[in-house]
Amino acid sequence: MEKLQDRFADIGEFIPQEDDDVIVCRCEEITKGEIRKAVHEGIFTISEMRRYLRNGMGLCQGQTCGKMVKGIMAGELGIRPVDLTPATARAPMRPMEMKILANDRNEE
Amino acid sequence: MKRYELIVIGAGPAGLSAAIEAAKAGMEVIVFDENARPGGQLFKQIHKFFGSKEHRAKVRGFKIGEDLLKEAKEAGVTVQLNATVVGLYPEKEVNVRIGNEIKHVKGDAVIIATGASEAVVNFPGWTLPGVIGAGAAQTMMNLHHVQPGKKVLMLGSGNVGLVVSYQLLQAGCEVVALVDAAPKIGGYGVHAAKVSRCGVPFYLSHTIKQVEGTDFVTGVTIAEVDSSFKFIPGTEKHFDVDTVCLAVGLNPMSQLAEMAQCQMEDNPKKAGFVPAADEHGRTSVEGIYVAGDVSGIEEASSAMIEGRIAGISVARDFEYVNEVEFAEKVKGFETALGSLRQGMFAPGNRGKKIEKTEEGIDISTNLLKKGYLEDEVFHFPGVKKIKGLHPVIECTQNIPCNPCQDACPKGCIKIGEKITSLPDVDENSQCVGCGMCVASCSGQAIFLVNEDVGDGMGTVTMPYEFLPLPEKGEKGKALSRKGEEICEAEVVDIRLAQAFDYTNLLTIKVPAEFVMNARFYKAI
Repeated sequence: MEKLQDRFADIGEFIPQEDDDVIVCRCEEITKGEIRKAVHEGIFTISEMRRYLRNGMGLCQGQTCGKMVKGIMAGELGIRPVDLTPATARAPMRPMEMKILANDRNEE
Repeated sequence: MKRYELIVIGAGPAGLSAAIEAAKAGMEVIVFDENARPGGQLFKQIHKFFGSKEHRAKVRGFKIGEDLLKEAKEAGVTVQLNATVVGLYPEKEVNVRIGNEIKHVKGDAVIIATGASEAVVNFPGWTLPGVIGAGAAQTMMNLHHVQPGKKVLMLGSGNVGLVVSYQLLQAGCEVVALVDAAPKIGGYGVHAAKVSRCGVPFYLSHTIKQVEGTDFVTGVTIAEVDSSFKFIPGTEKHFDVDTVCLAVGLNPMSQLAEMAQCQMEDNPKKAGFVPAADEHGRTSVEGIYVAGDVSGIEEASSAMIEGRIAGISVARDFEYVNEVEFAEKVKGFETALGSLRQGMFAPGNRGKKIEKTEEGIDISTNLLKKGYLEDEVFHFPGVKKIKGLHPVIECTQNIPCNPCQDACPKGCIKIGEKITSLPDVDENSQCVGCGMCVASCSGQAIFLVNEDVGDGMGTVTMPYEFLPLPEKGEKGKALSRKGEEICEAEVVDIRLAQAFDYTNLLTIKVPAEFVMNARFYKAI
């Protein structure tokens, strides 16, 4: 069960930081600044962030950046990283060509 | 749908060990692994493992991997490689991609042993070619025999960072610095010491500010950080490098467990988001078990025992072994696992500040902050001034390891019942100079010293794992624990025996006043 975030929490204004242009998700090339801004636009959960910016939706499926995204979002929200539920794990666990999925028939 | 009694996901140390135990009990077992080679990370481990003699201490990782594969084959385990499990469902349906097809199979039981992936940290330039994980460096060097670069900076002073730095040196790379944001070295002191004596400087409370280059890495700037990990202006240091290696921890690859609806926990003690499991590896979903790093980051030796426990636990739950056999087997495994989880680096001690050894000796802060011991080395029971030839054991932290004790045929070395105790050198025993202790020490912390061989000279025998081997009669420089040239040294002997397992014993002659400082040799 996803822990509910207080949507009305006052997290203050977005204040630009020096390292905002550093890439966090290298598969989808999403920067720290983009993630921080998105929090201020109302994106409070990791699942929402993935849909909003596509971070963690590339080749490694967030295995590399997941922890960093969590840390940045928690920092922005003023909560502990453990209070953010990680992204939902779904099949396929590894990137796969569409044709393989399309040919997947439960034959036996 | 094809059905198996047990499906193990991952053919690393935990998965193979689990498969072996279940198969030995009579179960039909298949192991899926997405890689082209089995063994997980074991085949990249060219160093000798720590632990007790009974649990493969002083054996090199890849050899342990070979033995596991052989044991799995003998037990009748099927290992299917290039088989990527892409889905796992609560009814224990496993979707596995083999070639261009997805196969749907079912297991009466499933053991998830998918291990972990490397964590990263980001900084400007971290996506440039040349910034790599320590695991990638090991793959390149130890599996493919390719140097990852010529000049390397290592970030992370845990055992992975330390061991891989040493391997980079062995592969002929230059390691310009070992950097960690923490104020203390995270890994074993003995690993740090063997990197230090090769002349690699440690920068604690430092981290990477940026990596430079347009198409690939050409340099890196580090800077000191304060106690809240903020950069301190004016402390920048620049290094020309072509490679930056990251060894900043591991993340459990636990997604399959979550997909199968196992209850999960975000547990900092286990270094991540992991399935909750009981002491026998059972998750909250009946028939789904976990073992190894996926259930909490430790190291390969514990993963292998966890795997065996999960394997025998499945066999018990499916009535292939009875309660009595189970209890007997598990007791042995749990004792072994318990002993590996002792000492100052035990999982239970994570984050704790330890100031004294179990013997009540002050922990060397030099070792923790600079990577090498200074005069405090004489406070430890393995370091004594004894007339004639004798071992000097620079083992100063309580870690679960004891092969040196049995290595000495004359009984000069004592650790005792408790595996984490510091080795003690007996002043009255007769060292014959066989060198078995030197080669047995996985931490390369044992030296044979003779303070007086006449003419004001002494000798130091050290473990030497570099090529080309120096030749007898050759003259070079002796290096201190810090890696500084301290005096002339003449190679008087170089020995290799099968029992040394590729650890050469290099004996150098140096002026007597340097025998307690000369700890490495550099050819000129």
